[in-house]
Amino acid sequence: MLSNRIHELYVLEGLADNDTAIHKLHPRAKLVVTFAYIVAVVSFNRYDVLGDVPFFLYTALVCGIGEAPLRTLHKRFLIALPFCAFAGLTNLLLDRQVAFALGGAAVTFGLLSLLAILLRTYLCVMAVFALIATTPFQGLTRELRHLRMPQIFITLIEMIYRYIGVLIDEAGCMSTAYKLRSVKTKGIAMKDMGSFVGQLTIRSFDRGERVYAAMACRGYGGEFPEMEYAGPKPGDILFIFLLCAAFAALRVFPVLDMI
Amino acid sequence: MHMADALLSPGVGGGMYAASVAAIAISAAKIKKDDLGESKVPLMAVSGAMDFAAQMINFTIPATGSSGHIGGGILLAALLGPFAGLLALAAVLVIQCLFFADGGLLALGCNIFNMGVIPCLFIYPLAFRRVLSPSPNAKRIWAGSVVCVVASLQLGAFGVVAETAASGVTELPFSAFILLMQPIHLAIGVVEGLVTAAILNFVYAARPEILTSAAFGTRPQSAAKTRKPASMKKVILAFACVAIVAGAALSLLASPYPDGLEWSMEKVAGTAGLEAGGGVFESFAAAQERLSFMPGYDFAAGAGTGAPVAGIIGAAAVFAAAGAAGLVIRVCKKKRRAAGAAKDA
Repeated sequence: MLSNRIHELYVLEGLADNDTAIHKLHPRAKLVVTFAYIVAVVSFNRYDVLGDVPFFLYTALVCGIGEAPLRTLHKRFLIALPFCAFAGLTNLLLDRQVAFALGGAAVTFGLLSLLAILLRTYLCVMAVFALIATTPFQGLTRELRHLRMPQIFITLIEMIYRYIGVLIDEAGCMSTAYKLRSVKTKGIAMKDMGSFVGQLTIRSFDRGERVYAAMACRGYGGEFPEMEYAGPKPGDILFIFLLCAAFAALRVFPVLDMI
Repeated sequence: MHMADALLSPGVGGGMYAASVAAIAISAAKIKKDDLGESKVPLMAVSGAMDFAAQMINFTIPATGSSGHIGGGILLAALLGPFAGLLALAAVLVIQCLFFADGGLLALGCNIFNMGVIPCLFIYPLAFRRVLSPSPNAKRIWAGSVVCVVASLQLGAFGVVAETAASGVTELPFSAFILLMQPIHLAIGVVEGLVTAAILNFVYAARPEILTSAAFGTRPQSAAKTRKPASMKKVILAFACVAIVAGAALSLLASPYPDGLEWSMEKVAGTAGLEAGGGVFESFAAAQERLSFMPGYDFAAGAGTGAPVAGIIGAAAVFAAAGAAGLVIRVCKKKRRAAGAAKDA
């Protein structure tokens, strides 16, 4: 079970090694566009379902051109769903004012806002997945460095990302051992959780010290040397400009609302 | 408790980003100044990864049949110290957001604030360290962990409610939402507090220096005490900055949101607000109002049914076209690749 999670974590990274038109874009271009996209999507009025619909084009095209595996991404999208679905359902129950009638059935504002929340959740999550599935993780962290985020924080993100696999592996071994020694248990009993995670903590601290010693031996002094950095090309700037303009246009003049 | 983008307005999301980035910057500066700074980085990384792994281990809660997992703000702060704990937790949240859709990209600022800044920079120095001093023992660790985890989760849950309400996406009234969220998180907090206490006690029994050095620095107790007042002042100053940023951002952005009948009014005002350009925009806005399928404010009074149907058909057409475009691209690519493979063979 835990090894599945490791696979889940790194499968997206494998996708980032593909070589499509989307992959060739500069990470900064994709980062800026993704942010602009999310802001545009969530900035609509909360009952405005139709305004958001054209934004589906972006995720569909990026996932299509970028060859992102839709089934994997959709499965993962379900994780994000419960809380939003809950909030949407309360809207459905509480906001019963009729917005308009549709073929004899009354459509309430609550239903509109439920649909809007579900659609927006889908669009935002898929936009982030599309970014991750087409951009190497190192490229993204390098962009964060150029945004002047603290060096230590970025280093931490990179290292945690690498070590998650190791630590999950370790936790998996311990959990298997625990299950073999106990009868008919589903998870770890709560009373054993202290020694279980405590053990994991002590192991990880020891490992952290060894890692530091190893890094210090190889000349680590608090910062990693910066590798060669190529800024965005004119094509990337054009990509940012065109897509942001498109999002702004769709935001200011919602096509479907005008029908 | 990870918030999603769909329930957030860009203003609130941006404001909370500012607050969280400020807290991260302060923490990073703090650690850099610390003479142990660089040797701590691998330790922080491995601990963050450990927290990530620990969150995946579900444990069974006795007598309920349900299972839970830990969140880890107080845990990481207790193991690494508040600033390093915040950085590690924030990094974990970034990874969860990007790779697991656990919390949205726009909501990342909110999530870091609710789950990282609150336990690490507020609860830990104000309560946890106080409970532990002058020196930790098993009882103090139990009391401190449970109280602090419960307090962190209560404040965190309150943060979720406040940020959601300020965004104005949900219909749930503020008070009802509070009444729903706080008791749930009280229960979660007690369970997580007990587990955190058990973990910390285990670590303390095996390696007491980890907790003491995180809470009081590596120096002996007396030296730590003489050093404390000076650093405490800075800490309080830092909190004050964060609080001011957060408060200002929230109060500026917490605009009164419209109710069901006012929404279309706001929509018109919203587009009109962008028309600094003048003529063209104005006429477009007017045209939009005229053409908009929900133009007036009179749906409750019963508007026509023709227009919404057209809108829905339009939406379906866009979905279909976009989906088809994605599919066609995929099929073409597959074919081309197959052809390429055939040529190679």
